[in-house]
Amino acid sequence: MTALRSIDVSKVFEDGFTALSGINLSVEPGEFVTLLGPSGCGKTTLLKIFAGFYAPTTGRIEQNGADVTNAPPEKRDTAMCFQSYALFPHLSVAENVEFGPKQNKVPKDDRVKRVNELLRQVDLEANRDKLPNKLSGGQQQRVALTRALAMRPSVVLFDEPLSNLDAKLREQVRREIRSLQREFGFTAIYVTHDQSEALAMSDRVVVMNGGKVEQIGDPEEVYQRPETAFVADFIGSANLLPFERVDDHTVDTPLGRFTVDDPPVADSRFLCWRPEAADYGVSEGENVVASDISERAYQGAYTDVHIAVPGAPDQRLHWPGSASSMSDRVTFRLPPDRIRFVRGELG
Amino acid sequence: MTWRRTLLIVALLTPGLGVILVMIGSVFYVAVMQSFGYYNLVGEDSFSLEHWQKVLDSKQFSRALSYSAYIAVVAAIGSVILAYPIAIWLRRPFRGSLVISALLKAPLFVPGLVASFLFLNVIAFHGIVNQLLMWIGATDAPIRLQNDRGAWGVVFLQLWKNLPFALLLLTGAVQSISDEVLDAARDLGAGSFDRFRKVIAPLTVQAMQASLIIIFIGAAGDFAFQVTAGPTNVQSMAQYMVFLKDSFGRWNQAAVVGVSLMGLALFGSLVLAVLARVVLRGGARW
Repeated sequence: MTALRSIDVSKVFEDGFTALSGINLSVEPGEFVTLLGPSGCGKTTLLKIFAGFYAPTTGRIEQNGADVTNAPPEKRDTAMCFQSYALFPHLSVAENVEFGPKQNKVPKDDRVKRVNELLRQVDLEANRDKLPNKLSGGQQQRVALTRALAMRPSVVLFDEPLSNLDAKLREQVRREIRSLQREFGFTAIYVTHDQSEALAMSDRVVVMNGGKVEQIGDPEEVYQRPETAFVADFIGSANLLPFERVDDHTVDTPLGRFTVDDPPVADSRFLCWRPEAADYGVSEGENVVASDISERAYQGAYTDVHIAVPGAPDQRLHWPGSASSMSDRVTFRLPPDRIRFVRGELG
Repeated sequence: MTWRRTLLIVALLTPGLGVILVMIGSVFYVAVMQSFGYYNLVGEDSFSLEHWQKVLDSKQFSRALSYSAYIAVVAAIGSVILAYPIAIWLRRPFRGSLVISALLKAPLFVPGLVASFLFLNVIAFHGIVNQLLMWIGATDAPIRLQNDRGAWGVVFLQLWKNLPFALLLLTGAVQSISDEVLDAARDLGAGSFDRFRKVIAPLTVQAMQASLIIIFIGAAGDFAFQVTAGPTNVQSMAQYMVFLKDSFGRWNQAAVVGVSLMGLALFGSLVLAVLARVVLRGGARW
């Protein structure tokens, strides 16, 4: 039985803005699913529909097989971690964590035991009597998560919970969330616009754009085998080239003729390859490209190289070395198994 | 801190703080001293507890004190109770909310005496309330509504006049609570009443205290509503003070009533402020 399911969900706001249309998504128990997309793509709206803050305009929400479409948030077996943490500023850490169980009339002994246990598990025991404004951002986020977990929900909903943290802390809290999710075994639906966060944390990623689902898959799948130009472009860097089909395994592009393993399908619009897919030091044979370098930017682990090709602007390579070791021209080979075809339009 | 800096701070504070200290302080000083027999308009100045004794022994005084305290408590608590749901309703803008908000605050611009006069016209024998009662058959002849003995007229006027003020303070406080905090409470199982009791009220307790205190002080010292629409069998403290001064020229006794009124204002507002804090925050974290 699915933990949470949206069936043909759409949401049109009072001002006529269509935030979601035709969303079908099933989340399995214990799964960590990320809703990934740019601002305004509808991911937070979908999360709030799952939480019960918004009612869908059409469609249904099911939790553990039961229809919860019209159930208010307080009646759902979900708990939410908010972007701003939304801790109650007048209550101590322990009181914040205790709030949910108290509302749900958990007996006092159980409540206290539950709160103490959770605070110990997330290493917040020493801060139990502090007010939220005395804690760091990372600690506040941990309190928010602990408060949600104290409800013992079957599904925890995360609304961009790390967006207010600095890069280093974000990585630490990200690991903490994932390890708590594995430890407690709850189902997680996580909203983010940060593709690296989505790839690092998720069992499955749901890429959204313009209120619709573009692709659902595991992190490797959406990265290595994007189905649309939007997914390819939004997740990581992607080079997209218009192409002309020669035969099932040969296409012509502005970069030259390429041999491919997977043939393009009828609605394929672009040939797609990742900047790190190129092999260097190969100057002869199929799929070899030689081009002038128009721009280079040292990135530490690699040098971001832009090549100038008529009809194919802004093609990028990740050169595995320093900028100073490069000449003004680069030669590389695109392995046939690293070339994909995607449908859709460019953003 | 150097003496020059100290001097500068004192100089900058003088226009504001100086007026408060000199003007209000001197008035307070004269009233207190006058209640003890000094600053007599006629006769010798000498220390005496006679004026306090006479006033405190008077039944009229104790009635005025309890009456003013009653009106002030009802006005303060009533205004806040009525203002909260409106403030929550107006928390997020909607079509027409600005107009509603402006209309609700209109009584702030109507002087108390004018409001009282208009109110008297409405509830007079020939007023629309009596006309309505007769039209719906509730009564055969006009009934006396003015200067009612239960002081309902004064309570109504106090609420009408003070509700916008409480609304002004509470709306800002309620608006400052983020949607996410209220959503979090809801997500954690709190229904409407629990969200108010456990989140909104504790987070707006300072605005509530300010409303309670300011309304209490104003209502405790009411003169205009009482003399026009109040009951005739009891006087408010301000009315009694003026009565003593005007009727018998008893300036010292009037000063005793004045000082007592200030004491009532101070004591009452303190009690309300403490009560609000204790009830809404369980007394924790002042």
